[in-house]
Amino acid sequence: MFRTLTRRTLTGVAALAATGLVLTGCGGGGNEPAALDTEEQITLNYTFWGNDDRAARYDKAIAAFEEEYPNITINDTFTDYPSYWEKRQTEAAGGGLPDVMQFDYTYLRQYGDNGLLLNLEDYFGNGVTTDAIDETLLATGTLEDGTFAIPTGYSAWSVFQNPGLLADTGVEPYEGGTSWEDYDAYMAAVTEAGGGTVYGGTDTTQRIQDLELKLRQQGRELFTEEGELNFTQEELAEHWTEGQENRDSVTVPQSKLEEINPVSGFGGSITTSEMSWSNFLGGYLGDSGAEEITIVAPPTSNPDEKDLYRKVGLMQAASAQTEHPEAAAAFVDFLINSPEVGEIFGATLGIPASETQLEGANLEGPDQAVKDYLDSIEDRIGDAPAAPVNGFGAIEQTFWDLGKSIGLGAVTPEDAAKQFFDEAAVTLGN
Amino acid sequence: MTTIESNPAVPVPVDPDHRRQSGPRRRPMRRHLPTALWIVGILALTAVVLYPLLWMFSASFKPNAEFGSNQGLLPENPTFDNFVKVMQGIAGIPTWKFFLNSLILAIGAVIGTVISSSMAAYAFSRITFKGSKILFAAMIGTLLLPFHVLIIPQYIIFRNLGLIDTFWPLLAGKFLATEAFFVFLMVQFIRNLPRELDEAARIDGCGHGRIFLSITLPLIKPALITSSIFAFIWSWNDFLGPLLYLNSPDKYPLPLALNIFNDQTSTSDYGATIAISVLALLPVMLFFIIFQRFLVDGVATQGLKG
Repeated sequence: MFRTLTRRTLTGVAALAATGLVLTGCGGGGNEPAALDTEEQITLNYTFWGNDDRAARYDKAIAAFEEEYPNITINDTFTDYPSYWEKRQTEAAGGGLPDVMQFDYTYLRQYGDNGLLLNLEDYFGNGVTTDAIDETLLATGTLEDGTFAIPTGYSAWSVFQNPGLLADTGVEPYEGGTSWEDYDAYMAAVTEAGGGTVYGGTDTTQRIQDLELKLRQQGRELFTEEGELNFTQEELAEHWTEGQENRDSVTVPQSKLEEINPVSGFGGSITTSEMSWSNFLGGYLGDSGAEEITIVAPPTSNPDEKDLYRKVGLMQAASAQTEHPEAAAAFVDFLINSPEVGEIFGATLGIPASETQLEGANLEGPDQAVKDYLDSIEDRIGDAPAAPVNGFGAIEQTFWDLGKSIGLGAVTPEDAAKQFFDEAAVTLGN
Repeated sequence: MTTIESNPAVPVPVDPDHRRQSGPRRRPMRRHLPTALWIVGILALTAVVLYPLLWMFSASFKPNAEFGSNQGLLPENPTFDNFVKVMQGIAGIPTWKFFLNSLILAIGAVIGTVISSSMAAYAFSRITFKGSKILFAAMIGTLLLPFHVLIIPQYIIFRNLGLIDTFWPLLAGKFLATEAFFVFLMVQFIRNLPRELDEAARIDGCGHGRIFLSITLPLIKPALITSSIFAFIWSWNDFLGPLLYLNSPDKYPLPLALNIFNDQTSTSDYGATIAISVLALLPVMLFFIIFQRFLVDGVATQGLKG
């Protein structure tokens, strides 16, 4: 029918239009910010992505904010993640971005470099308190021209295990932080004991984070400072080839994973372990229905190298076009620092980045487990990579899709590496 | 649908004792065999086509944790919890509100489309005015314009009019005959009506308004019904329009509400998503069942002249 629209096409078109904004040069002015007027009636639009549970929490947080600032009213709206960015792209191009937005690190450069976001640095110490936030975390929101977003929380790459499922196979859990050989041996043992229904893990070369981890263990990064790929096509082919042995006989077959998509192998209780970001714990608990899930450090080939980093997930940002920047800054500050907000959200937006919020959060159960894990890997945490290049989201997805195709046997690692470099060249604009 | 009736001209074997007799008696069997094979084949195809729907219905009784482990048709631990959760509403908004919003938009779209498109179609097919050919070509041209091209300019217009977060951006176009597809459909229909009817009415003293109301409208009823059904279903299923123009969750229609239970970045309630999908399908199915006989009529009479 005429009306059948693919959302992907739309994103493309909208992205193009957003790029157009750079050409027309929409930049914010650098005037001295005024103090917040406590008399004037102000209405702010706020938007976030998430599910009904997150919406209920935001409702409470907004109520608390409105109580503290009686002259400010917050209108909130929310959708799911993919629609969220479609809508933002259109609004960015049409000049109608909401005053304050829940933001994603992946999109920071795209919006920040285009002058669409409010430079929050102007409000540091004058509406926005940053004392309680770790400097390296705060720096993640910084681009060349200023600080455009502040992280609510962070996570780190980790290995999840399902002890209940593991007990059925009789294999000892992987202790974490040891060599890749140990982890491979663990996965092989589980797969052997699982008899074709339970597997030890998922392909450990499939995602771009797997390659990143490997590179960081050699003291390298995914991207150069100029924002170009920091590895060669041959290295990528080799990376994927290294996983071949495991794919053939150890890790869960990709065809099985496709069957249960969008639930992952670990979420669907067919693997006893999986590597992912530590904030996925809550989602895994819900998907698998498991009573307990443990979390340990990923394997390493070089224990002395600081290969892990604090990954910023959710951030809060304000629009450069907002009519009430000081009110927007006040709301961002409240969402980042308020202990009350910490209590409302717990660790559902990541382990709180701000100390004051962390104190209010009263972490317990799985949230505390994530926090304990993050504390336990302190020694391995190094500097976070620079803000993702423009188009990182697409590159990350291409990498994963190709990794899956290799798992399905549809493409060889060499061809996949070539395809990845071709597509990355287009995305990165070389 | 028409039922398959046995052809009275073909003798039906009645007495089983006669079955062994050879000769002409076997001919009916031979004729029925292909029919039976066709029916079996069609049933098998229908089953394949309907399986996803059946799976969805059955999966709405699965507890959320079963979605990863059990891809089969039947739930292992059937539960009504998904429906209970869905009926409790989303983020403080009662579920019926989403149905109501969808219904307002769909009915508004139907009314707008029928009124404006039929009037535009009458003008294009019966009145010769300056530039009517060029305008008609331009209208057909909009059919070739992908919606994506218009999104941003449209958004800017409605934003400057201050109509964001109201139903107007979604309905205004419908009342202004912007759906070229419907206008074209009706134009073709009206062109097939004999002009003599109009002329007779004119002799009786009717102007364009009266001819349109009393002669044309009753005769293009099948086209109106076809348009209504499509307008209803398109509006009911529209996702992008409401996504861009509506901000307050209490104005969301169903397609947006369906997504709320899903959040790939934290937890997703697949059970609730499927349950509300089932509920969202019911009205549109009901609508289709009630109007499908008109739809078939409409399509069948489109080729009829006079």
